[in-house]
Amino acid sequence: MLEITDLQKVYPNGTHALKGVSFGVNKGEFLVIIGLSGSGKSTLLRCINRLHEPTSGSIKFEGEETITKRGKELRSLRARIGMIFQHFNLIPRRSVLTNVLSGTLARTGVFNSLLGIYSEEEKKKAMEYIEIVGLTGKENQRADNLSGGQQQRVAIARALMQNPKILLADEPVASLDPATSHSVMKYLKKINEELGVTVVCNLHFLSLVRQYAGRVVALKDGKLIYEGSPLEIDEEWFQTIYGEDAVEVTIN
Amino acid sequence: MATKTERLPHEPTNMQLVQKTGQAFCLDVFLWFYVVLASHKIVYEKIILGLRYPDFHWNQPLTALGVGIVVALALFFTRLSIGKACFGLYERDPNYPIMKEPFSLLGVFILIITIISGVFITQISIREFLSESGLQGARRIFTALFQPNMAIFEAALFAAIETIYMAFIATIAALPFAFLFGFFAARNLMADSKFFFTIYVLIRFFLNMTRSIEPLVWAIIFSVWVGIGPFAGMLALSLHSVSSLAKLYSEQIENISDGPIEAIKATGAHPIQVVWYGVVPQIVLPYLSFTIYRWDINVRMATVIGLVGGGGIGTMLMQYQGLAKWNEVGLLVLVIAAIVWVMDYSSSKIREAIK
Repeated sequence: MLEITDLQKVYPNGTHALKGVSFGVNKGEFLVIIGLSGSGKSTLLRCINRLHEPTSGSIKFEGEETITKRGKELRSLRARIGMIFQHFNLIPRRSVLTNVLSGTLARTGVFNSLLGIYSEEEKKKAMEYIEIVGLTGKENQRADNLSGGQQQRVAIARALMQNPKILLADEPVASLDPATSHSVMKYLKKINEELGVTVVCNLHFLSLVRQYAGRVVALKDGKLIYEGSPLEIDEEWFQTIYGEDAVEVTIN
Repeated sequence: MATKTERLPHEPTNMQLVQKTGQAFCLDVFLWFYVVLASHKIVYEKIILGLRYPDFHWNQPLTALGVGIVVALALFFTRLSIGKACFGLYERDPNYPIMKEPFSLLGVFILIITIISGVFITQISIREFLSESGLQGARRIFTALFQPNMAIFEAALFAAIETIYMAFIATIAALPFAFLFGFFAARNLMADSKFFFTIYVLIRFFLNMTRSIEPLVWAIIFSVWVGIGPFAGMLALSLHSVSSLAKLYSEQIENISDGPIEAIKATGAHPIQVVWYGVVPQIVLPYLSFTIYRWDINVRMATVIGLVGGGGIGTMLMQYQGLAKWNEVGLLVLVIAAIVWVMDYSSSKIREAIK
């Protein structure tokens, strides 16, 4: 459903973040992107929903070329792609429900959304997703008062409100403790298996990758160096991806 | 991950080096121009020769500039260049005390010349300060001030209320404009396209211009325009509040975190929705805090503005002072002090509470 060909990204300060990356994402799969910090993982995800502008190359989403889209077309593209972030990026001082409802902004009129008017149907759906991520009873609490893991689940519910075809997750557990990491990863897996949402996820920890990934691609210095099953990553590959001195750390 | 071609952040490029050297030289030229002019016109002619009205020709500062350029050029390659020191162009041994460097001593010398000239120009005179007739006048006023005339208390209270309301309305009237300008004056929201950046530059210029003109001057202009009274004062305060608040607001916007903005953008939201859901929730409380603080400042300024015809307690103060009725002035000063104290105290308490 997603076809990336020869994607290049050069930042205005001259950093060459992506040097011709090509790969495909199949419908319904759980794809994990691994690599060191600075290898271009975050840039890659942000090019898919155009939070960052790719310098050249092509990204086809459900057969449509995305990198030429502007304005309204671009917004409708983004609406079909959910995203969650390392630092959750919830709206501070707003309730969990408001945060989840903000996932519907693309189909709510500008005027209604300024007044905070959402249809009963949307509210019902928001409550359902809050239930799916296990936060029933917290919908009227301020989102920034929740724990890290709970905030990330609110972010997942917000992304689900978009009815996304694909969910991008940028280091979703990098600022969480090991136990909470697993809980968040399990929710992503659940969404992938039960709701059929394709997931593309950036991860640091190889142990999480082995447990949750259906397929893995590895980036190094802005280039794709590995593509395959998570179980095939042996010691040798590990050192190619993470460098000679790297030692694998497991979290259980 | 640093590649080999990347430079360390503190290592300047050639271009920056040339620019810094230029700036350092200009600073040196200015300082030497100042030293030559101040020591000749003030220290030599006025203090040493004691001339009351020394001759002034425009060729004197021009000569000083010429001498400044020559001296600065000559000393630019020694360790006597303050410009080079300021722009970090000297290689320094961190163990050597900075006050022993030649350029530091030169700096101290310039400071001493400035103090000497300043004392002379300010006409500081202990004799005047302690003169018999002067002390008598001061004693008369102070005794009257400490015996405030309570008969005008009611009128003073009404004038004070006028001042507080005037400051409040000035703040409220400034709010919507400041709110709007705040967005346009925030660099992080406006840097995306050339068109918006031009608007940003224009708005910033307009705000800096209106802010650099004192509300006192605006009050004089408006008291001619709409007549003496609280309305003129309110307009003056309002105008100044727009530019000051817009600046504070825009700085607040520049400091917000990008995360929520990115997340709202990623949902496919319209730019207006991005501002409303990604930016506004992050700025509401700081805005409220700034606004209350501005009201507090406006009350204080309103009394001063009253002195030039902006209405309220300031105008009353000016009238009694003009008639040399010091007992009444004493009461007004007390009332003003009370208002300022109450506003200051309550505004800081409110701001603390909403943090």
